Amino acid sequence: MRHEPLRARFVTPGSVVLVLLMVAGVVVAIVRYARGLGAVTNLSDTYPWGLWIAFDDLCGVALAAGAFTMAALVYIFGGEKYHAFVRPAVLTGFLGYVFVAIALLVDLGQPWRIWHPIVMWHKDSAMFQVSWCVMLYMAVVALQFAPAVFERLGWRQLHELWRALVPAFSVVALSFFTFIMSHSAIWTVVVFGVFAVLALAVPRLFASRAGVPIMLIMAGVILSTMHQSSLGSLFLLMPNKLHHLWWTPILPINFFLSAVAAGFAIVIFEATLSAKSFGRSPESELLAGLGRALCYALWICLVVRLADVMIRGQLAAAFSSGKGLIFLIDVVVGLMVPALILSSARARESMTSLFTAATLAVVGLVFNRLSVALLGMTMPGKVGYFPSIGEFIITIAIVSALVLLFTLSAKIFPVFTREEQEAFGLPGAASQAAGNR
Amino acid sequence: MSKACLVDLTKCIACRACQVACKEWNELEAEHTEFFGAPGGYQNPPALSSRTFTLIRFVEMTDNHGKLKWAFARSGCMHCQDPACASACPVGALRKTDEGPVVYDDTKCFGCRYCMMACPFDVPTFQWDSPIPLIRKCTFCADRQRGDVAITSVNDRPLSEESLARHRDSDRTPACVKACSTGTLKFGERGELLAEARNRMAAEPDKYIDHIYGEQEVGGTSWMYISNVPFDQLGFPTTLGKRSYPSYISPAMKAIPAVVTGLGLLLSGVYWVANRKAKAAKSAQKESEQT
Repeated sequence: MRHEPLRARFVTPGSVVLVLLMVAGVVVAIVRYARGLGAVTNLSDTYPWGLWIAFDDLCGVALAAGAFTMAALVYIFGGEKYHAFVRPAVLTGFLGYVFVAIALLVDLGQPWRIWHPIVMWHKDSAMFQVSWCVMLYMAVVALQFAPAVFERLGWRQLHELWRALVPAFSVVALSFFTFIMSHSAIWTVVVFGVFAVLALAVPRLFASRAGVPIMLIMAGVILSTMHQSSLGSLFLLMPNKLHHLWWTPILPINFFLSAVAAGFAIVIFEATLSAKSFGRSPESELLAGLGRALCYALWICLVVRLADVMIRGQLAAAFSSGKGLIFLIDVVVGLMVPALILSSARARESMTSLFTAATLAVVGLVFNRLSVALLGMTMPGKVGYFPSIGEFIITIAIVSALVLLFTLSAKIFPVFTREEQEAFGLPGAASQAAGNR
Repeated sequence: MSKACLVDLTKCIACRACQVACKEWNELEAEHTEFFGAPGGYQNPPALSSRTFTLIRFVEMTDNHGKLKWAFARSGCMHCQDPACASACPVGALRKTDEGPVVYDDTKCFGCRYCMMACPFDVPTFQWDSPIPLIRKCTFCADRQRGDVAITSVNDRPLSEESLARHRDSDRTPACVKACSTGTLKFGERGELLAEARNRMAAEPDKYIDHIYGEQEVGGTSWMYISNVPFDQLGFPTTLGKRSYPSYISPAMKAIPAVVTGLGLLLSGVYWVANRKAKAAKSAQKESEQT
């Protein structure tokens, strides 16, 4: 299966609009850097975290989860037939993390100190874990996407070097991560030993699958798992603020499980959307398969969420308060309804219902993260919070940059396979097919 | 031994000398506020901010005869024994010192504001109007507590040991405590202050609420309060529990190495099984092609 760049025009009316939205964002950002966060946001000492943390960061990371769920599905769980989805998902994942990083540069009080966690270690802090997961996982995803760049530019030797060094990089990255998060020599040696043995054993035992950077993929899956869950860990320190319909000791696990579901949902969502926008029918058999994976993921999320709420005796609160209503929307609309839709094989094969379910799951994920970071919180005092226009403009600008970067990358680098371009009805394949006739 | 402060709210007359002394010592700018702008009427400013580390709150309530009555409370860092803010900080800018104060390092902080979210007492504040913002909060005058005596002689005559000790105690007392003229604030060793609080409560059991706020809250704090008005009515959070806040997150943080190792083994196991299945399928296909 060969990957090829999309053949389409670089400048389109859509891209002009995106650039204009980005310019608006830059203007707001200039004011923010000159006059402080208070000048453009509605954040306050009561609401120190707002839209940027809740949406840009928490949702951004969760919606980038397609990269690791697809990589795990295809290369570890043996779902080779879904191979065509990996590169677009990895690209989305990488750009998602870029999105998160840009949002952080705007949101942090002193973004020029963003490198501080590299040298100032504090292993007890979930935010420290988050920082390192972002850095290491971005490196891993960049390395996963690198072959596309090497192919495009014809850098054979660099590609060979990449192949040789990637397993060692993965082992070192995981061991180092373990060391900074535990300061334990024993655990570091254990992790180094386990992964070094795996790195040496895998090419010998599984010669048939040589060429797949399995250690890099494993490192990506593990670092993603740590990152997705660490975002949930952040809120473990707020049992007094976050309603106990969401606050639970297993919040990191809930964040991980919902990110896995979001990963499948976003891949289905994107694939259907790009096909729809070119008026072609997508590869429905493969998408139905992903729909089934999403279905399992949603049911697991739902059962864990409800069982946890019941065991902690919080279920009654779901039916007796304003927060309860938010919880019901979160669980019913975001998890239960799409799970029920996808439980029917016929619904999975219908593009409309599959797309509906995937969209609900994506919206549900966003609503869940907003609930944890904002809607489910009870802050002291009477000061409320609703994002300012400036906060919205920055968010829209970064999303625009993301969309623009994705389409540009797909036009420059070989992201989609030929088969997939045909399957998704993408423009390069269409013109090619027309030319062949 | 760690230093602490006992606040006997029954003695507070809301002169706010502590508030002013705090501003002076920390060289904090004035705030532009409105009189009667805050919920407590005379309370000013309305809340803690990056320019106000100590605040006397005016709580309006009705007495037994249905008349308006004021009760006074104080807002400021509690200097927890095991502080959530310090556990939250990704770069270790916040730290509990052995001497008692929870201190903040201006040179480390990058402004993520997680400490503000984590603090159960909502104490840390942020410089929202600054392009180079920092977190601000009460330091328990850690700089004063660490300081050495400034004056060692008077008229070229060295001070006696006794005078030196008195000067040292005075210089090392937090600014607010030094300014308090009613004895509301008392600075000392935590254990001794707890004993003192119990003595006062035992001496006048009808006067005091039977609770030392901060003795056990979130695992204990260096600042402790006793009062004649129930703490929930004074606006203190009373549902925080006795467990230290970092203990809510430490299990998740401690699990990391085991999870990394476990995931590595699990994923390679899955990979192995999937690979065998794929091989079996391939050879089965070959066989069927041959036959």
